[in-house]
Amino acid sequence: FKPCFHRGGRSKLQVGRLEFAEVLRSRGVYQKADIFMKMDGMDDDTTVFTTLKSFKSFISQPERSHHLAETSIAKGDLQKQYIQRIELEGAAEKIHSKTNLLQMAQEKNQMELSHKRARIELEKAAHISARDFEREVDRNQGLLTCIKKLEEREADTEKLLNEEAEMNKTLKKNIEALNKKLEEKDSKISNANETLCALRDEIRELNHKIKNQEMQLATQATENEGLQEQVQLQHKKYLEASQKYQSLQTSECLNSENELKIKELERRLALQEQDSVIVRNMRTELARLPDAERELKRLREENSYLRETKENSSLLKEEAEGLRRKVERLEKIKEDMVNLELEKEKLAMKLQAWENLSQTTGLNIRKPEDLSREIIQIQQREIGLKQQNSSITSSARALEKSRTQLQNELLQLRTRGLEEQKKREQQDALVRRLQKRVLLLTKERDGMRAILESYDNELAASEYSPQLTRRVREAEDLLQKAQAHNSEMEVQVSKAQEEAGSYKLQAQTAEMELDVLKKQAADADNSSFVVGEEVSSLRQKIEELEADRSRLEEQNNVLEMRLERHNLQGDYDPVKTKVIHFRMNPTSLAKQERQDEAEKLREECQLLRERIRTLQAGGAVATEEGTFNLPPSQEVLDLRRQMESAELKNQRLKEVFQKKIQEFRTVCYVLTGYQIDITTENQYRLTSVYAEHMEDSLLFKHTQTEEGGWRLFDRGRAAPARHVDEGRLAALRQQPPAQLRRPARRRAPRLLSHDERRHFKNPSLSHL
Amino acid sequence: MSSTLKGITLKGSAELVAEFFSFGINSILYQRGIYPPETFSRVTQYDMSLYLTTDTKLKNYLTNVVTQLREWLFDCTVQKLVLVITCLETNEVLERWQFDIECDKTAKQSSGPREKSIKAIQEEIRSVIRQVTATVTFLPLLETACAFDLLIYTDKDLEVPEKWEESGPQIIADSEEVRLRTFTTTIHKVHSIVAYKRTDYI
Repeated sequence: FKPCFHRGGRSKLQVGRLEFAEVLRSRGVYQKADIFMKMDGMDDDTTVFTTLKSFKSFISQPERSHHLAETSIAKGDLQKQYIQRIELEGAAEKIHSKTNLLQMAQEKNQMELSHKRARIELEKAAHISARDFEREVDRNQGLLTCIKKLEEREADTEKLLNEEAEMNKTLKKNIEALNKKLEEKDSKISNANETLCALRDEIRELNHKIKNQEMQLATQATENEGLQEQVQLQHKKYLEASQKYQSLQTSECLNSENELKIKELERRLALQEQDSVIVRNMRTELARLPDAERELKRLREENSYLRETKENSSLLKEEAEGLRRKVERLEKIKEDMVNLELEKEKLAMKLQAWENLSQTTGLNIRKPEDLSREIIQIQQREIGLKQQNSSITSSARALEKSRTQLQNELLQLRTRGLEEQKKREQQDALVRRLQKRVLLLTKERDGMRAILESYDNELAASEYSPQLTRRVREAEDLLQKAQAHNSEMEVQVSKAQEEAGSYKLQAQTAEMELDVLKKQAADADNSSFVVGEEVSSLRQKIEELEADRSRLEEQNNVLEMRLERHNLQGDYDPVKTKVIHFRMNPTSLAKQERQDEAEKLREECQLLRERIRTLQAGGAVATEEGTFNLPPSQEVLDLRRQMESAELKNQRLKEVFQKKIQEFRTVCYVLTGYQIDITTENQYRLTSVYAEHMEDSLLFKHTQTEEGGWRLFDRGRAAPARHVDEGRLAALRQQPPAQLRRPARRRAPRLLSHDERRHFKNPSLSHL
Repeated sequence: MSSTLKGITLKGSAELVAEFFSFGINSILYQRGIYPPETFSRVTQYDMSLYLTTDTKLKNYLTNVVTQLREWLFDCTVQKLVLVITCLETNEVLERWQFDIECDKTAKQSSGPREKSIKAIQEEIRSVIRQVTATVTFLPLLETACAFDLLIYTDKDLEVPEKWEESGPQIIADSEEVRLRTFTTTIHKVHSIVAYKRTDYI
């Protein structure tokens, strides 16, 4: 239970105090409660503190009393009191809160009320202000309009002013211009006056001149007359001259004509003379004519004769040629014959010689075959002998080789022997030297020993040990030096001995070789005469073999080059080499791929061809989709879908149309009473509801020529009522063509109504 | 590896030669345009930039062949390696790159390494490969689609492995040959020759 510890908010505190007072009262602590209430007017804080203290003390008292009691019943009472207290506290809290709430609500209401009041006031004020504002605005607007009007008026007056100012300016300009013009005119006038004066002066001068010129004119006129007379005289003379000239010309013409005539006559004369000459010649020639004829004949005969002779001569020439050739041939043949006879003689001699061979050689020869056989035998013998020869030579060579080998071995052995000897000698020398050295050493030793004994003997007497040792050392040094010298000497001696030994050895070997060569030379000399011929033959053989060798070498080179070339190209010896490659190599793979591609393309081609065939035959494409290898493209699928949808649409349209048309026809039939059927193009048959037979119908035809008119074409079976309508129809038909030609749109309904009436007049239908 | 030792052993020599063939074949395929240039990637080898294929199938094939070749080089049973370029349309051989291999068989017995520096060998190989690149200038153009094959000339008595088979030498009918440089590792000596079909110039 918290007391309100607030400086402000007094009302809350008061409420809290009230509650507290109630609580205390309920407990029975009336005193305290009264105290609490009394303290209402005092300071809040202190009262709170004091009440708290007292409350606490009050609370503690019952507790103490509770403690002192220590009876169960007292406890129960305490508990109950405690519980009651708690409940009271709770209730107090609730009440407190409720009062708080009520207070708040009250405050709120009050505030709301105040708010409302304020708002209303404000609204009123706002309203008033708005009204004022509106009034002001209206006033403003009025003022603005006045201002605008005034401004407009100002503008107008300004314009007027401007215009008048401009007019003024223009008028001033005009005035100025006019002034200028006036001045100009004045100046012009003055100029004109001046010119006038000048001109007057000029006129005076001209008048003078005119007078002078008139006088001149008069004199010249008189001169003129004189000259004219002269001209006339001259003219006469001219006329006379011209006449003379004309006469001269005519005479000249006559002259020329005469000359022409003369020339012509002369020409004619010349021609006549020529003619006469020609005539004379002709006469002489005529006289010669028979002679000429005679000569002509003679010549012709000669001609023919000469031709014949020419032919004969040509024939003869040919014959002569032929004979000459024959003669030549015969001479050649003669020569050949002579040669042949000579040859024959030679051959006969040879034959005789050959035949005598058998006698000369002493062999059993009669025919050439025997000779050839003998020759073959001889050759075979020769071959055998050659083989023997070659074998012998090879054996000889082998023997020689072995001999040389043996000689070499002998040489080697001798050298070795000599070396051994030399070694032995060296070693003997060494041994001797060593023995000598040993002797020397023993002698030295003896000497040294003697010296030492002497020294010892001396030492025993005098005791000059340091001197002795020194002397001994000196002696030892001397000895060592002597020994070193000795050994050096010995080394040099041994070296020299070795060198000497080696030289000796060399000399001996050289001597031996010389001996051997000498022996060989001697052998060669001995056998030279015997094998002279062999040598020459061998030399020949050698030359042949050299030639062969060179030829073979060339061949070898050529073959090697060819082999090299083949090697470069990739040839190989199948015996020694083989060529292998990886099975899955790129070339084979590429070839395989190409083949597969080709196969695939061929198959595709086939399929496409079949497809084309079926398409041309008109087969459905859709059924072949399964066999089609290529997947249908998106376009194709879309098009197919579109097609299907279009077909469906079509189908639906057809059905709808069917239904609609059916409906329409039934409606027509029912309402108008006529069933309209289309029999053929442009022909329509109308059958009435009341018609008993199908044939009882009207046929109309649509013709294009009559302004879209309908012509009654056939009536069908309409006999019963004909008499009624015939007249009408006849009347109609009798109407002038122009009327008949009226658009039949109007005619057809009349006909139909006639038909209906006819039907109605039908007794069977009279009940309708 | 023979690069760490001072001398060349048989194994090291086989390794060097096989490596040369691997790079050489790739170079030839690139230069002659058997495969499109975009399927090749650049690598540095022998102090020059060479091209190696990135196509897996081709790489596998080359690895198989070169591995087998290395074994045979070690056994000294291989005599030649030939790269044959065939025109796919007419099935005729247009070019033949032949590498003759001479093997010193005494190296098999004596196990001591031979004195030759790796640098010198690489210098020789470099000159050979440069020559191969330069030959492109005078070789006739390969205008049609071509494929290549690798043939190996071996001793007759060699056992043919499983994936290999015998084939013909695929010699060009009317050919011009040009000898290129040689390089040697003192154990293996490799001569290079290119043979091409003579073209009729009108």
